[in-house]
Amino acid sequence: MSWEVSRRVFLQGAGLAAVGVGLAPTSLLVRTARAAAGDKVLVKVFLRGGADGLNLCAPWGDPEYYSLRQGIALPRPGAAGGVVDLDGDFGMHPELAPLEPFFDDGRLAFVHAVGNTRLTRSHFDAQDFMESGTPGDKQTATGWLDRAIARLPGTEVTQAVSFSPQLPRSFLGPEPVLVAQTLASFDLRARNWRAEAESLLTAMYAADPTAVGSTGLETFEAINALLRAPAPPPSSGAVYPTGTVGSSLRQAAGLVKAGIGTRCIFVNVTGGFDTHSNQLTSNVNDFRPLGQALAAFATDLGGLLDSVVLMVTTEFGRTAAVNGAAGTDHGTGYCLLVLGGRVRGGRVLGRWPGLGRAQLHDGRDLAATTDFRDVFQEVARAQFGITESLFPGYSPGPGVGVVA
Amino acid sequence: VSSPQTLGPRVVLHLLNRAGYGPRPGEIDAVLQRGPTRWIEDQLEPAPDPELDQRLARFPTLSYSTAQVLALYNADQRSIGVVLDEFTSAKVVRAVHGKNQLQEVLVDFWFNHLNVFVNDGFDRYSISSYERDAIRPHVLGRFRDLLAAASLHPAMLYYLDNYLNTVPRRVGNRVTGGINENQGRELLELHTVGVDAGYTQADVVEASRCLTGHGIDNLTTSGAYVFRAANHDNEGKQVFGLSVPAGGGETDVQRLFDHLASHPATARFVARKLGQRFVADDPPPGLVDRLAGVFLRTGGDLREVMRALFGSAELWAEAFGAGKPKTPLEYVASVLRGAGAEVGQTRAVKATLEQMGLPLYACNPPTGYSNRGADWLNPSSQLYRMNFALDLAAGAVAGVSADVYALIRGGGGNPDDPRSAAEAIDRVVFGRTLSPATLDAASRVGTGGSVPVAVRVAGLLLASPDMQVR
Repeated sequence: MSWEVSRRVFLQGAGLAAVGVGLAPTSLLVRTARAAAGDKVLVKVFLRGGADGLNLCAPWGDPEYYSLRQGIALPRPGAAGGVVDLDGDFGMHPELAPLEPFFDDGRLAFVHAVGNTRLTRSHFDAQDFMESGTPGDKQTATGWLDRAIARLPGTEVTQAVSFSPQLPRSFLGPEPVLVAQTLASFDLRARNWRAEAESLLTAMYAADPTAVGSTGLETFEAINALLRAPAPPPSSGAVYPTGTVGSSLRQAAGLVKAGIGTRCIFVNVTGGFDTHSNQLTSNVNDFRPLGQALAAFATDLGGLLDSVVLMVTTEFGRTAAVNGAAGTDHGTGYCLLVLGGRVRGGRVLGRWPGLGRAQLHDGRDLAATTDFRDVFQEVARAQFGITESLFPGYSPGPGVGVVA
Repeated sequence: VSSPQTLGPRVVLHLLNRAGYGPRPGEIDAVLQRGPTRWIEDQLEPAPDPELDQRLARFPTLSYSTAQVLALYNADQRSIGVVLDEFTSAKVVRAVHGKNQLQEVLVDFWFNHLNVFVNDGFDRYSISSYERDAIRPHVLGRFRDLLAAASLHPAMLYYLDNYLNTVPRRVGNRVTGGINENQGRELLELHTVGVDAGYTQADVVEASRCLTGHGIDNLTTSGAYVFRAANHDNEGKQVFGLSVPAGGGETDVQRLFDHLASHPATARFVARKLGQRFVADDPPPGLVDRLAGVFLRTGGDLREVMRALFGSAELWAEAFGAGKPKTPLEYVASVLRGAGAEVGQTRAVKATLEQMGLPLYACNPPTGYSNRGADWLNPSSQLYRMNFALDLAAGAVAGVSADVYALIRGGGGNPDDPRSAAEAIDRVVFGRTLSPATLDAASRVGTGGSVPVAVRVAGLLLASPDMQVR
């Protein structure tokens, strides 16, 4: 498989040879083929914990919704705390109301009942499968976004950025990724000897042939790229909420605006999405900053949103019925949210499987009628021009028509 | 590799890095004198550590019961900040200053295996008791006891929602309560047999039925464990090969613990995870098999499993490999120990750990933090690591003091001479294992400028790639 041959490994091999003939180690950091400003960008926002699609985008027109979810169903549009109606059948959680203008002008879409029946109800296996893109196979060495960015021309570390505490499984593999929680003050602290410290540490890390060495070199590369092109502040009056999702999306927009060749951004979101109990409270706490941050992101980017497709995803949906604790347990089909200037939005896409007992997966979960890989591939095709399958052993269908 | 006694500083460094959080100045020589085997036996039978106790004496709430913490909180809500600060500070102090290093590493390992989340409501008040009463007493004891203590501790019952897990009851024509399968699932998937053991969704539900009724007395006053028979599903159950007869009440779950704790899949799952923490990110299958065998043969005696691990050729062979990348906690603690630092206030240390992606006790999902070193390598964390080392050497980590001059002189070096200083730190902190490139780079620092040579050499070496692995 071609994606297993990494340009990065090749470049590092060449770089080590260069050290051998006496070039300064910093010359390794000058990489070529920078992506042009205005290139298309894919942003993946991952809600860890199994976000409940049935309360993110509620099927308020389906009477089963109210009989299955007594006490945790969202009220109908117009009622106090009611959903924001989308199309007469579905409504988004009221805390997502800041997104209404973007749905109305066609830049926001929902894709419902997404997933895969081979996703398990284990958080950790399901996340693994969602990110490797190979449900049922834990041996896949790479993440689907690593395979995607391997096909892009750039090789610099800022081409792919992840706002997360660790490298997410989606990016696992040979391609360089800048993983950070914050890019503010991203510099070495060595007052009055910074240049010497960078030079000597670079020499140490350049001589280390392991992943520790390459991580060190990527660090210096990232420091220098970010010092060259600092991210501009939010524009168009965009106001991001405090907290991780707001901070990450503010920085993501900054990277897009800075034009330093970033093509793929991952935003890790943890919170109370694993709503086994008292779900209504958790949903408010999680969806409020999410809605505000996404709306700020779209506002901040203005016309640049045309070059961006942002996808909000999770590992699985939740049980259709309420459990004994005003919550829901691990389920199957979930709901994707897709935002971008070229998104064919203003619609709830996907095939609705229904909530009747016979229609539920295993008699308990919203079924998955759209394979997540079809949508992921569709987005990668739109943003990166990738037509061949990114998913070993699977030929994605045409998708759901979510991006023009 | 023949026997640990015949090997030099490299092997002792390896031992101190794997069984603990790395050497303090002078410790490599001390362990060489005592003999690594005897040092391991000391670690397997932790002795009193009055010096550590004295350091911990400034954290009086460490001994508080959950009810005491709640009473304090009910009197003054600000007190919970103090309680949690003392609890998290104690972890740093123990790692940096404790003599029973293996015990501290194992408390970290088993807490992480049976993870709860400090920011999860009631767990703020009960997490201190959880570690002290459910985890710490059992890390060199029997897995069965550890599992039961952790599973039925109110902090776990809250974190995994089991306090809400009840038999569904009909009141008039309404059904109240019902199964909450959160803890039942994680008991199988994360705490015992592991996700690949072959259990089904039905087993998850049956395990959850065994757990019904085990809850918490009063979340705001006593916070104590309670079994409510009326909430328990008293019908028979079939869980992953175990038949639980009807009418067992609160003993159902004890039968389930017996079954799961002695299951071969649990032995393998635990053995593999220990191998991953102590030996290699991808532990050798032969080692995993042997450790699993010891686990089964000894009835899950964790001291014997650890003894077998430290007697394994696989562990010692790693002393000559590329090393296992340190987690943020391992890195920060080892830098503090290596520099001979004295930890007064911990705020800056804890903030650094959070920036590196490992806020103490704040892993939200029940998986706990990854034991794979490679998972912690990334440019952002790397920058925080280098800056922590540079700050520490410059005396700029608030609340922590480290004397780089004493460090260098203790290794017989001249603090004003770059090469001499670097070689001294190589002896004391690295057991003379520094790579030539690292030693050479540190020896090239200039002797002019406003930043002293000793600060620069120590900062660079503590920030070096050699310090990132154990």
